[in-house]
Amino acid sequence: MTDAGLALEEVVREEWGRLTSLLLAQFRRLDLVEDALADAVEAAARRWPEDGVPLKPAAWLMTTARRRVIDRLRAESMAQRKVPLLVTDVERQEEGSRTMADPGDLVEDDLLRLVLMCTHPALSAESACALALRLVLGVSTHDIARLFLVTEPTMAARITRAKKKVVTAGIPFAVPAADDLPARLETVAQTAYLAFTAGYAPGSGPDLLRVELAGEAIRLVRVVLGLRPGEPALVALLALMLLQHSRRDARVGDGGRLVLLDDQDRGRWRRDEIDEALLLLSEPVLAGPISPVAAAYVVQARIAAEHATAAAPDDTRWDRIVDHYDVLVQLTPSPSARLARAVAVAQADGPAAGLDALEGIEIIGSHRVDAVRAELLSRAGRVAEARTAYDAAISTCRNDAERAHLVERRDRLA
Amino acid sequence: MKRYILFLAYEPGGWDAGDEAVRQQFFDAHHAFETFVNARGRQLGSAALADADIATTVRHTDGVATVSDGPYVETVEFVGGYYDVELPDLDTAIEAASLLPRSYAVEIRPTVTIEGYESP
Repeated sequence: MTDAGLALEEVVREEWGRLTSLLLAQFRRLDLVEDALADAVEAAARRWPEDGVPLKPAAWLMTTARRRVIDRLRAESMAQRKVPLLVTDVERQEEGSRTMADPGDLVEDDLLRLVLMCTHPALSAESACALALRLVLGVSTHDIARLFLVTEPTMAARITRAKKKVVTAGIPFAVPAADDLPARLETVAQTAYLAFTAGYAPGSGPDLLRVELAGEAIRLVRVVLGLRPGEPALVALLALMLLQHSRRDARVGDGGRLVLLDDQDRGRWRRDEIDEALLLLSEPVLAGPISPVAAAYVVQARIAAEHATAAAPDDTRWDRIVDHYDVLVQLTPSPSARLARAVAVAQADGPAAGLDALEGIEIIGSHRVDAVRAELLSRAGRVAEARTAYDAAISTCRNDAERAHLVERRDRLA
Repeated sequence: MKRYILFLAYEPGGWDAGDEAVRQQFFDAHHAFETFVNARGRQLGSAALADADIATTVRHTDGVATVSDGPYVETVEFVGGYYDVELPDLDTAIEAASLLPRSYAVEIRPTVTIEGYESP
């Protein structure tokens, strides 16, 4: 790629959300701003290689995008169309600006407004994910569609519908009252984690590890954490994501085959990411009283950290992991948490204890309980029962790589 | 200011079966809602509706207006009342809706203007 191309890619990556938020604050037109910014990027792709990269690339994009919006507004005023505007907290903002000396705060607040608008609880989680990737991070609709395994027109329609809901329903481009902010930031965290897990372990399709989507989800958390440093749910979530993400290279073997934790080459785990996560987990904000959502992220991150810090599988402190899972099951008594706890119990105290812990866990439409039962039965030497359980797991598994793995395990039974 | 209609849906019977204390709780919740709305915006209208089994539905079938007994859709919860309000944004509308009796499901619908339509 040319220097101009790289410079453009970098400024889009770093500044898209901030530019979008500034344009929205000025024009309050969600329907025009994204197109105008996309046009400006297109213009830059043509002009910069010839004219050279401008001294302030972000300002260049901003000026160009602003001009596009103004052109569109002029055309509209001749056609006398009346278009609904985004609801903002202009009144509150004006009041606030009298007491806020540093204008830098306002710029950052606009980006926070954008994040909170995209992840508003009145939007479906999937729509919120797509909107945040598009408007905050500048991921193209084409790429978002690819990441979520839908066609581009489907994703474009989903994003358009989400934008229409924002404007028509009156979802404000605003920072809520201080009392409501933590809950809203938890919704941001949940949205980012949904995008992350969609990338980390897709339920179907051949693409085992869509590292890119997971990476974008991490970037979203970093952006928000930059605006709200020390927010417990976000600190803990970032640690959790980094620990899971650090294993991405070791998790996929030849031909896209899934490599389980025990068989992974731990030398291929990203040490820098693990170290950053451990540092995050030691932050004092996580030691104080925190919400159940934040606490659940913390305990999941501590479990991941136990794995990340064991030099070899045999060094894993499964006793401590079981303790963590006991806490997690209390915080979120979901079947998946109980299933993971049963796996840990089996590691700590043997397959029979694990099978006992598995009693009564049911996850509708998922192969995971059967897959774990099959594995534990096989370890306990109960081959015939193991085969039946593998068959059940294989018949409900929708992920190609995981199913191939299950078939291999079954065929290896004595 | 945006205009919203809040549809109040609930399973029938709660009011009729309620004693005086329960009814007072309903009144208090509606008072809290109305006070909030008037502080943050304004109320344009409201009504409590007769039960859905009293409803009459008119629809055209094969070009003929037919009348039937009952609501247009049979559900466990039915719309038993509405508020027509003006409030700054959806967050405020959600805050207002959450003041209403807890047995309600409140559907918040923004109103839209139909371009080109004028009342006679």
